Amino acid sequence: MDTSLHAPDAAELPIVYIDGEDLRRFLASGVTEQTGYSYSWEGEGVTHLHLHPLRHAFGSTGSVLFCRQAPAEVVADYAVEVAADGTARLLIAADDSWHEHPAMLIPAQSELFSRSKGILEVGALAGKRVMIVGLGSFGSQIAIELAKAGVGSFALMDFDRVELHNLMRHTCVANELGRLKTDAIADAILGKNPYAEVDRYPVNINRHPDLMLSEVERADIVICATDNNESRFNLSRTLVEAGKPGIFGRAVTRAEGGDVFIYRPGEACYSCLIGTGMFRQGEEEITDEASARRDGRIASYMSAADADAVVQVGLSADIEPICNMMVKLTLVELSRGLDTGIASLEDELVYNYYIWANRRERRHANWSAMPNAGAKPTIMRWYGAHIATDPSCTICGMGSLDLGAVDEDMALLQEIQALNASTLDDNTDDSTEQ
Amino acid sequence: MIDSTRQQMETQVLNHYLPATAYRFMDIGTSQPYLMMGMLTNSGKTYTIRIDLAHFPESVPEVYVTKMLYTKQGTAMDSPSASMHTLSSKYGFTRICHYGSNSWSPRVSLYKIFIKCRLWVEIYELHLKTGRPMDYYLNHQS
Repeated sequence: MDTSLHAPDAAELPIVYIDGEDLRRFLASGVTEQTGYSYSWEGEGVTHLHLHPLRHAFGSTGSVLFCRQAPAEVVADYAVEVAADGTARLLIAADDSWHEHPAMLIPAQSELFSRSKGILEVGALAGKRVMIVGLGSFGSQIAIELAKAGVGSFALMDFDRVELHNLMRHTCVANELGRLKTDAIADAILGKNPYAEVDRYPVNINRHPDLMLSEVERADIVICATDNNESRFNLSRTLVEAGKPGIFGRAVTRAEGGDVFIYRPGEACYSCLIGTGMFRQGEEEITDEASARRDGRIASYMSAADADAVVQVGLSADIEPICNMMVKLTLVELSRGLDTGIASLEDELVYNYYIWANRRERRHANWSAMPNAGAKPTIMRWYGAHIATDPSCTICGMGSLDLGAVDEDMALLQEIQALNASTLDDNTDDSTEQ
Repeated sequence: MIDSTRQQMETQVLNHYLPATAYRFMDIGTSQPYLMMGMLTNSGKTYTIRIDLAHFPESVPEVYVTKMLYTKQGTAMDSPSASMHTLSSKYGFTRICHYGSNSWSPRVSLYKIFIKCRLWVEIYELHLKTGRPMDYYLNHQS
C-alpha cells in the first residue's frame, strides 16, 4: 500500500479518504475500471471513496471511478488510479478536467486495532462471535464497545425500533429515529470495525426457539441485555443446553444500582440465581411503558397515569458502569487462556454475580457513605459473590418444582372456604353467574 | 414451551395431590399446548380451568375459567380489572390474574397455579354473595 498518500495540510480542502481495502479488492478483481461511490459530509469538505455502497447516512453521494488509468474525459466526480503495486493517485473533477489531490487511506483491517496490541489479542477476538439479545441502552453500548475491542462477529437480536424515549441513553442519534435497532447498531459496529461480520435478527427471540438455539451454538458468548424475564429464562435454558457462557445485566429502579450475572457452563445458571435472597426481580428498572405492559411488568389494568409513575428511567451515566462490567467480563471470557494484558483479570473476576450501587437509595439505603466506609459496602464499587448451583433447579439441576408456599396458599384457601360457608348471600335476587 | 421432562415432573406433582381424572394435558407437541383442570368448589359448583402452556415455564402462563363469568352486578368479566383480579379475556373465557411477572420463576409448578385458581374461584363465589370486590379478600402480587 502506498504510504506516500499523506495527510493534506489542514488548509487544503477537501479531505479525501480512500478505502484501503477497496484498492486491494480492485486490483484483485483484474478489471481495468469499476465505478464506486463517493460520500461527502455536506459543508465539511470531507469525502470518503468506496467501491461498494455504504449504509451510513452521509450528507451527499457522488461517483468515483476506480481505474488503472483515468480516462481523458471526466466521467465521475473522482478518479482513483490504482497502480499494479497497490499505490494510488487521487484525481478530482473540476472545470471538466482532472486535478490531482492528496488523499488518506481508511486503514486496512490489520491496522485498525494497532492501539490495542499488547492489551487484547485482537487477532483472536476477530475470530470470536458474540450474540447480543436486546439492543436498548445496555445492548447498544456493549455491542459498540466489543466492536472497538476487536470482536469480529456479531449476532444482533431485537425487534424494536429506535424511538424518542430511547435516545438519551442509547447510542443511536436523532436522525436514526424509526430505524430497526438491529440495523442501526450493525451500522455503528461497522463504523468502528468495517470488517466485522454482523447478522441482524429483528425478531422476538422468545417466538423463535430454533433460531435462538442455533445462534447460541454459533456464538462464543451470549449477552442478555433484554428487559424481560421470559427472554432471560429462555436464554438461560438454551445456554445450559448448548453449554455456552452468557452474561445477564440489568439496572434496578431508576438505575440506583444494578447487577451482573455470568453463567459459565457447569456453574449456577440464571434460574439458580432467582430465589436467592440476593436477587430481587421486582426491583427491575422500568424504562418503557409499552414493553413493560407487553410482558406484564405493568399490569394491563393499570391506568396510564399509574403506569407513568412506574416508568422511572435512570441516567445514562448510571448504567455505563454496569455496561462496562458486562464488556469486561465478556472480554475476559473471550480471552481466557490467551496471553493478553487483561489475563490478570481472570484471577479477579472469578465471581458469577456482581452488585453495584450508584446511590444510597431504597435497596442500598443502609449502605455506608463513601467517606470512611472502610470494608462496609458503599457506592460505586463492585461487589462479587459466588452463587452456588441449586441442586433442585429445573434448568440445570436435578429439577424439582417450587411448591414452597403451597401450604400458605392452602391455609388461605381453607380460610376463604370457611368464610364462604359462613357467609349468607346478602341479596339473592341478582346472583348473576351464568 | 413445556417439554416432555417438565411435563413428567408436573404430572408427578399433580398425581400426588389430585386424582388423575382432575386434569388433562391437551395438544402437547403443538405450538399451543394447554392443561385443562376441573375443580369443585365448596358450594358444589364445578369449574374448568385452562392453563395455556405455549410459553410455560419461561413466562407466566395465561389462565382462563372456561366460560365467561359475570360480577354480582352483572358485568361480564372480560377486561382487565385490578379489583377483580382479571385480565383481557380470550376464547370468550374470563382470564384470571394469578401471578405477577415479577414474582414469576420457571420453577413455579402448575399445581401452585391450580391452587391460586382454586382460591380465585372461591373468592369469586364469595364476591357473588357479598358484592365486595375480590381484592377485598385477595392481595395483589407484584
